[in-house]
Amino acid sequence: MVQPLSGQAIYVVLLRELKRYWRAKARIIASVAQSFFFLVIFGLGLGSFIGGFGGMNYLSYLGPGIIGMGLLFGSVFSGVSVIFDRQFGFMKEMLVAPVSRTSIILGKILGGAVTASIQGIILMTVAGLMGAFTPTPALAAGVLAAVGVMLLITAGFVGLGVTIGSALSDFHAFQLIATFVMWPLFMLSGVFFPIDMAPAPLQVAMLCDPMFYGVELLRWCLLGAGTPLLGPFGWLIALGVLAGFTAVMVGIGTYLFSRVQV
Amino acid sequence: MPVIEANNLTKRFGPLTAVDHVSFSVEEGEILGFLGPNGAGKTTTLNMLATLLRPTSGTATVNGHDILEESDAVRRSIGFVFQDPTLDIELTGHENLDFHGRLYGLKRDVRQQRIKEILKVVQLTDRADDLVKTYSGGMKRRLEIARGLLHYPKVLFLDEPTLGLDPQTRRAIWEHIQRLNQDENITIILTTHYTEEADYLCDRIQIIDFGKIVALDTPDKLKARLEGDIVSLVFKDSAAIPKIKPLLEKKGWVRRVDEVASDNNHAAMSRMMQAMRGMASGNMGGMMPSMSFGGAAGRSKIPKHMPQKIVQGIGGGNGENGRDGGQRRLNLLVDDGGHRIPEIVKLVDRTGAVLESVELHKPTLDDVFLSVTGRNIRDERGSFMETVRRYRIVREARGQHVRG
Ligand SMILES: Nc1ncnc2c1ncn2[C@@H]1O[C@H](COP(=O)(O)OP(=O)(O)O)[C@@H](O)[C@H]1O
Ligand SMILES: [Mg+2]
Repeated sequence: MVQPLSGQAIYVVLLRELKRYWRAKARIIASVAQSFFFLVIFGLGLGSFIGGFGGMNYLSYLGPGIIGMGLLFGSVFSGVSVIFDRQFGFMKEMLVAPVSRTSIILGKILGGAVTASIQGIILMTVAGLMGAFTPTPALAAGVLAAVGVMLLITAGFVGLGVTIGSALSDFHAFQLIATFVMWPLFMLSGVFFPIDMAPAPLQVAMLCDPMFYGVELLRWCLLGAGTPLLGPFGWLIALGVLAGFTAVMVGIGTYLFSRVQV
Repeated sequence: MPVIEANNLTKRFGPLTAVDHVSFSVEEGEILGFLGPNGAGKTTTLNMLATLLRPTSGTATVNGHDILEESDAVRRSIGFVFQDPTLDIELTGHENLDFHGRLYGLKRDVRQQRIKEILKVVQLTDRADDLVKTYSGGMKRRLEIARGLLHYPKVLFLDEPTLGLDPQTRRAIWEHIQRLNQDENITIILTTHYTEEADYLCDRIQIIDFGKIVALDTPDKLKARLEGDIVSLVFKDSAAIPKIKPLLEKKGWVRRVDEVASDNNHAAMSRMMQAMRGMASGNMGGMMPSMSFGGAAGRSKIPKHMPQKIVQGIGGGNGENGRDGGQRRLNLLVDDGGHRIPEIVKLVDRTGAVLESVELHKPTLDDVFLSVTGRNIRDERGSFMETVRRYRIVREARGQHVRG
């Protein structure tokens, strides 16, 4: 079914997401602090023991991964919040309006991507201030590219969240999502250890994790290098996989959302 | 041309037929009421008309648009005030309205003008910039209703608009609904399981039970179906009823006898109506609210009378003692009921049963409902979860917090 898009509808749903995000300051602080603890405790603690990988100190290695963690958790949660919209009734207000569901869900995905990326930018700044990235002229361009990458990653994972949220009707399943979806995606994304050093089965699992490519791309942007495993054009591979993942997840999420009954 | 035409609308949920071949039509400018107990299928019917649920079979047109084929056009024609809360409580009242206005494509100046107006009507101007989560239940309900009216829909669906509200708020909302209907010529379909509300507001009432329409007429004609008076007997001990019922049925002047639950809901509602009667004093009969005729449309309406109750207390108060929930009463439809009371009392006395109270009133829609369905409208059925949910709505509307 072809559904006409309404820019106005996309915009107001996006606006709502931004307002709600901005008002939940406690949540922003909590999730930034959580990532900050990871950076400090693992980056400095584990870093002083490991030293680094391939001439890169451990804090630098960890930085993009922790940014990725913030993006992942923020965006999946944001997508899954369609369950809460349904539970608390606001979904009906949106669905009974004379705008297509595609517009509504695209607004929602865009809103989730923007808010999760804001989170990512905050973390990028924190990591930068801790000295994770070497300040060079190239870094300025890398930071800009990183923001674009963040939007791409988060759009895909909000799409994943919407897919889960539309398929499940009950938010008690939320705990299961965290344990069986978010944590594996996070742990396998190469945040803590390089894929080159992992045993083969684990490498396969990591290569199946879309978040792995997200973290790779962020490393290319902010550190100018990725894993040797993917070769000198690893960034291109990562970008391709990620773009494909995002397109598929936004597509599935939109489709499932259009079939939700109140 | 009718604004709504439903044709054999049917909705099944698994084995349950929630709405069963419902057909009706609504004329422009009309207020049509769906009256029925919990679980009758009222909300499901509205959801289908509003394109939120697909009918299992049958279809309908709203404002000339087919609900299956032209759902966007249908949604452009309607406003919906849902039974369950649908506000975003993390936004302010103003933001909720603004969101709605934008979603319905109202231009900036029109939007701001209407928001200002409607906030005044529901008396939330002062609180407009507070987060909705700080509102009381009544304020939230008023905001929901305001939001449904913002875009001047052609047809407005009101699903149990005053569930759980206090008498003053309820009355204000009733008046506002009438004003909209008359001044803006908005066609309204509302559902309720409060007979008083249906009687007060509706041009025509559709009684719906187990997913089927069992009666459709104006309130006055529905009540006129029951000629005579209702004499209601409450016994000290309900066990006496089976013995007395056949004796009464034998009398020629008793048209029908129904055994019903003597619930305190009814008593609470009567008290509410009493309170309203006080507020409206100065009007003829005490029950007619100050209805705003005039308006651009200047349509004249048949005045809708409230039930006139004459309570003859013998013994205890009206239903007050029915709180154990198990108490039953006998409702008799009697010719010239006032004159028959002594005879009825004598008859009961001879059996040795003890009367707690006797009440005489003109047939109300409650009695009509009983006569067409054989059940009391306030006999609860519906699932456990539904009962819990409704309980929460009522509690929250009264400003208490229920967590769980
Ligand atoms: N989504 C659903 N799934 C299964 N059963 C439902 C659903 N919605 C409503 N029902 C059932 O359909 C019947 C009619 O419900 P409803 O239309 O809400 O009644 P009313 O609004 O008159 O109280 C009830 O028995 C209710 O439990
Ligand atoms: Mg209902």
